[in-house]
Amino acid sequence: MDPHTEIILAEYDRQLPFFRRLERIVQITLQDILDSNGLAVTAVSTRVKTRESLAGKLELKGGKYHSIRDITDILGARIVTLYTDDVDRIAAMAEQLFDIDWENSVDKRRLHNTDSFGYNSLHYICRLPKTLVDEPDWPQLNEVRFELQLRTTLQHAWASINHDIGYKTGVEIPHIYIRQINRLAGMLEMADDEFSRIRTEINNYRRRVQMLVQNGELDDVQLDGDTFRSYLEAQPFGMLNHRIAAINQAEIQEVPLNGYLRVFVALGCKTLGDVDRMRAQYTEHAYTLARHQLGNTDLDILSSSVGIQNICIVCILANGGGKIGLTRLFNALNGENPQNELLAEMTYNQALNLSFMQNK
Amino acid sequence: MKTEIVTDGNRLVAKFYGRLDTAAAVQTAEEVKPLLEAANKEIVLDCSELEYISSSGLRIFLGIRKEAANHGSNVVVRNINADIRQVFMMTGFISFFEIQ
Repeated sequence: MDPHTEIILAEYDRQLPFFRRLERIVQITLQDILDSNGLAVTAVSTRVKTRESLAGKLELKGGKYHSIRDITDILGARIVTLYTDDVDRIAAMAEQLFDIDWENSVDKRRLHNTDSFGYNSLHYICRLPKTLVDEPDWPQLNEVRFELQLRTTLQHAWASINHDIGYKTGVEIPHIYIRQINRLAGMLEMADDEFSRIRTEINNYRRRVQMLVQNGELDDVQLDGDTFRSYLEAQPFGMLNHRIAAINQAEIQEVPLNGYLRVFVALGCKTLGDVDRMRAQYTEHAYTLARHQLGNTDLDILSSSVGIQNICIVCILANGGGKIGLTRLFNALNGENPQNELLAEMTYNQALNLSFMQNK
Repeated sequence: MKTEIVTDGNRLVAKFYGRLDTAAAVQTAEEVKPLLEAANKEIVLDCSELEYISSSGLRIFLGIRKEAANHGSNVVVRNINADIRQVFMMTGFISFFEIQ
């Protein structure tokens, strides 16, 4: 080992506690900024370069570095995103958060020629500004640079496998295999763009649905998991629930209502308009059924599914579905169980004298 | 009113006896406390000897289910009689609990 390398490694040994401290601050800062922006990512990681790794680097290109300060990746941080758009979004956050050494930062995504594909990642060389950290006992916290790498999950997978193949073989890889690996980089780039495009389209679709729900144009909205969730956000059964709760001055416990989607589908609803018409048509009868059931009890706790459940019961009975229809309803809601037949019979008998059962 | 809790492999089984009404609720709430601390276990509420459940009893069952969800556990209600099944249905909780 040459004397220059030894000096830098000795400096590394002295500064290791400092790098550990810097690492913790960077890790917490990155996690905080992602959390506060509600951004889900695949991974946030940091590492301080090992002594062995640094020695290897110095052996390869030691002459390039006058001191340890010239080595910008002793602390490295990496964020692996789900979508390619998020790389740019997090890059913008990093630019706000850190002082960026633009001269040494590189966007590998922009380095490729139009006809070449390969490693794609954004590398920022950063410092912590005093606005973020200001510790008089540790002034070097604002001076020492670290590397932040941003890449997508697919870019990360490609880079990891490429690294593994490239370093493990120990022999020069024939041109044909390099071409095949780079061809995969091109394919993954397309996949990344497609995932981003699909996410954007889904978000646009959700926004359109929410708009239609807000405007009451429910006949234009196909009934599915997403649209039903948007519909439920407007709490269409809330008023009925409160009327039912008032029978015994009951409290209402919120429970998920998503399971009713398959019931409405089974009842023939194709759009949110169909669901809402059913709600409007049977609300009064659903209230009457609840009053008939609960009026003679002192039950003062209800689930928020009580209104929607009674609307489904009334719809089935009013349309001649009888005990078999109710059994199917309870099977759909509670899972297949022989007891559901008994429950259907009890419910049927309770409703027998109510007006919507006339002539059924 | 009496509650027995036994461990059955990776399950905790609470068996209720008698009428779980307002008067019995305080004691029952105390007796089911071990269930609230169970993590990653299946909790079985065996109601084969439970004759009646009031709103106070429902609140205890709800509390167990909520705590179980927080601890990654699952709650199964078993062997409820027709009257109790009707209470679960009328209050809308029948689709909230896994009832076997």
